[in-house]
Amino acid sequence: MLQLPRPVGALVRAVLLLAAASAVIFLCTAALPGDAADVLGGGRATAEELARLREEQGLDRPLHVRYLDWLSGVLTGEPGVSLITGRPVAELVAERVAVTLALAVAALAVSIPLTTAVAWAAVRGPRWARPAANTLIVTCAALPQAVVAAALVAWLSAAWGMFPPVSMLPAGERPWHRLDLLVLPVLTLALPTAAYGAALLRGAIADVVARPYVRDAELRGLSPAAVLFRYVLPMIAAPATRLFAVLLGGLVAGTAVVEILFGLAGLGELLVTAISTRDVPVVQSVALLAAAVVVAGLLVADAAAPKAARS
Amino acid sequence: MHSQFRRRTAAVVTAVALMTGCAGNAPAAAPATTGSQPATTGSGGDTVRYAAPGSPSNAVTDPHGLLPGESDMVRMALTYDVLTVPGADGSTKPRLATEWQPDETLTKWRITIRGDAKFSDGRPVKAADALFSLRRMGKKAAENFGRMAMFDLDASKVIDDTAFELMTKKPYAEVGKALEGATFVVPEGSDDFGKPVPGSGPFRPTAKGGAQAVVFERNDDWWGPEPPSRFIEVRAVPDPQARAQALLSGQVDLAGGVPATLAKQQEGNSAVRLLRRPGATLYPLVMRMDTEPFDDHRVREAVRLALDRKQLLDTVFLGYGEVGNDLITPKDSSSPANLPERTRDLDRAKKFMADAGLAGGVDLTLHTTTAYPGMDSAATLISQQLADIGIRVKVSLEPADTYFSEIYGRKPFYLSYLGGIPFLDVVRVALTPGSPTNETAWKDPAWFADLDEALAERDDAKRSSLLADLQAKLRDQGGYAIWALSDRLDLAKAELSGVPEGIGFASAFIDQVSLDG
Repeated sequence: MLQLPRPVGALVRAVLLLAAASAVIFLCTAALPGDAADVLGGGRATAEELARLREEQGLDRPLHVRYLDWLSGVLTGEPGVSLITGRPVAELVAERVAVTLALAVAALAVSIPLTTAVAWAAVRGPRWARPAANTLIVTCAALPQAVVAAALVAWLSAAWGMFPPVSMLPAGERPWHRLDLLVLPVLTLALPTAAYGAALLRGAIADVVARPYVRDAELRGLSPAAVLFRYVLPMIAAPATRLFAVLLGGLVAGTAVVEILFGLAGLGELLVTAISTRDVPVVQSVALLAAAVVVAGLLVADAAAPKAARS
Repeated sequence: MHSQFRRRTAAVVTAVALMTGCAGNAPAAAPATTGSQPATTGSGGDTVRYAAPGSPSNAVTDPHGLLPGESDMVRMALTYDVLTVPGADGSTKPRLATEWQPDETLTKWRITIRGDAKFSDGRPVKAADALFSLRRMGKKAAENFGRMAMFDLDASKVIDDTAFELMTKKPYAEVGKALEGATFVVPEGSDDFGKPVPGSGPFRPTAKGGAQAVVFERNDDWWGPEPPSRFIEVRAVPDPQARAQALLSGQVDLAGGVPATLAKQQEGNSAVRLLRRPGATLYPLVMRMDTEPFDDHRVREAVRLALDRKQLLDTVFLGYGEVGNDLITPKDSSSPANLPERTRDLDRAKKFMADAGLAGGVDLTLHTTTAYPGMDSAATLISQQLADIGIRVKVSLEPADTYFSEIYGRKPFYLSYLGGIPFLDVVRVALTPGSPTNETAWKDPAWFADLDEALAERDDAKRSSLLADLQAKLRDQGGYAIWALSDRLDLAKAELSGVPEGIGFASAFIDQVSLDG
C-alpha cells in the first residue's frame, strides 16, 4: 500500500468526500419531480414550448453530461447561471455569503462557550445542576428553529421591545453594521445548536474525567481548575474541535429557516428557493459550499488532533 | 423582577459583544455608508421602502419571461415604460403608447408611442424598440403564458420613429388591453439580461442594495408626472408574516400581501392603514368536463348549489372579500352585472344529483396545496359542504412546489388560483381548447365562435355586452365554481399616499407613492 504523507492523505480524502457529496446532491435534485422548465412554464406552457425550454437550458442532456459539465464549471470557477433568473450563480452566492457567514460565525461564537458550559455542568457541575443541565440538553436539542424563533420574538421583541421581530437589513449595509438585527436570528440558531452540541460533548467529557490519571490528580489534591486545564481540556480538544466543525457546517446549512423567518437574504434562503424552483446549478453550488465548510472544519480538527493528544 | 431583567439583558449584551468581536475580525468591512446618501437608509422621508411578496433568490432581471414574484413586477414597472396600463376601474389607460388605432378589419393596428421618452443611456425610445420588445416577449411565450399569442409579430412592422404597425392573427378589438401591464420596452437588440438593461421608466435601479433590496432613484428625465419620492426601495420578502412585522416595527413603509389574521389585529391602530383591493384573488374550484362525474352538467350545477359561499368567505378569507357568483373574472370591466346571486340550495342540488343517477352519492378526491394562504382550509370546508349532497370528498394536500406542474390542468378536481387578471387573459391561459392548460376541458365551439365575433366587434358597448354574455354562459355551463373573491390586503404607514388602486398589473405601478401624507 502506498503510504501518502499525512497532510496529503487528508487532502485527498477531503477532495474525494466533496466529490461524493456533490454527486449525491446532484442525484437528489435530479430525483425531485419536475424541473426548472416546468417552473418557468408555470404549468401553463404547452409540451412543445416546454421541450424548447429544456433544450435551451440543456436539461434534455443525459444526467452524467449535465453533472460533469457543472463539475468542470465549478473547477474552473464558473459554476454556471441560474436556470430561473439567468444570473451567474457565483454572483448570487457572493451576494449572500456575508449574511450567512455572519449568522453562522456569530451563532458558533455563542454556541461554543454555551455548549462547553452546559456539557460541563451536566457531567461535573454541582449535584443540583446536573439533572437541570441534562433536561435542558434533551429538551432544547430537539426544538425546531421556528419554535425558538417564535419564543424569542414573543419574549425579546413583543414583550420587551429590545430587538425588532424581523431583520430587514437596510439597503447597502453589511450584517455586522446592524448587530441589533442579528441578535434574534443568531440566538435562534445558537440555542438548539448549543444543546445538541452539549449532548455530544457530554459523553466525551464523562469519558475523560473517568480516566485513572484524572482521578489520580484529584486524589493528589490538585485544584479543580488545575485538573481541568492540565488534564481534561487537552484531551477533549480534538473531539470538541471536530464537533464544532460539524456544528459550523450544520449552521451554514441550517440558516434557511432563520433567514426566511427573519427576512434575511442569505444562502439558506437561496438554497430553499432554488430547490423549490429546481434551479439545479444553484442548489449544487450552495450545497457544495456547505459541504466544503464541514470538510474544511474536519481537516482543521484532524490537524489539531495529534497535537492535542501529544500535549 | 428588576435584577432578573438586568441579568437577562446582560446575557444578551454578552451575545452582542461576542458578535462584535467577530465583526472586528471580518475582512473588508465596507466603509460606513451613512452620510454619503442619508436618504437611502433609515426612514428618511425621501425614501419609500416597500416589502413586496417575492423571493430575493429568484429575482429576475429579464422583464419578458416569467416574473416569479410580485416584487419582480414592481421592479420592472419602476425601471421600464409599458405601452398601456390597466386603470383602477379595469379600463385601459395610455402610457408609453398614446394611441392604438385599428384599420377596418381590426387586424392591422397603428400603435403610436410618445416622442419624448428616453432610455437611461440617453437614447430616445423609438417604435422599433417597442416592436423589438413585443417580439422578444413573443419568443419567450413559454415563460410568459403566451402573452403575445394574439399577434402576428413577424408580419408587424415599424412605420417611423413613433409608430408601428401591429398585426393580429384574427380580428381583435382589445389590442389596448392586450398591451397592458407587462409590455416592458427595452432598447432594440438587448439580449443579455444578466444585469438590467437601460429603461425609460420613472425610476432607475442603483447599485446600492444587496441581495434583498434594490434602491431606485427617481429618473428626472421621465416624461410622466414627477414622482414625489426621490428614492423607492423594493425588497422581496417571501414570508407574509415577516412583511407585516417589518411594517409594524418601522423597517418598511408599505407591506404588500399581509395575512388576514394580522390585518384584523391592526384594525384600530392609527399608525397604520389597511389597504384593501377588492377581488384580487380567487381560488376557483375546477371540475374537468371531460371526466366523470363532471362530464354531466347536472353534477357541476349540484356542486355549485351545494357551496355555502358566505361560510367559505368568512372562514378562508376572514370576511375580507365578497361571495362569488361563479364568474371567473368578476372585476373585469366587461363582467356581467345584475346576474342573480347563486346561493346554497341543497334540495335542488340533491335533485340534480339524483337526476344524474348519483342519488347514492359519489367518491371524489379534491387536490389542494398550501401555495397560497387558506387554500388548504378552503378544500377541507368544501369537502364538508359537499358531504351534504352525498359527495364524499377526500382532500389530498399536495406539495406547493409541484402543484402547478403536476396538478394544475391535469387532475379532474382541484383548487386553482387566479390573481386579478382580465377575462381575455383567462381565455388565453385556461380556456384554450386542445391545450394542456385548458383546466376545465372547456371546448364549446359555439362559445368560441361567439368569442371571435365579439373580438371582431368595433363598437365598445356592443362588444362589452357580447363579452358579458360569454362570461355568463361560462358561469352556468362551464367547469368552475367561484365561491369567493378575496381582497388583497396591504399594510401601510398612516402617512403613506399614492399607492395605486386596482388589482393585478395595476398594483405594480407604485411610482407615485409618497410619505408626505
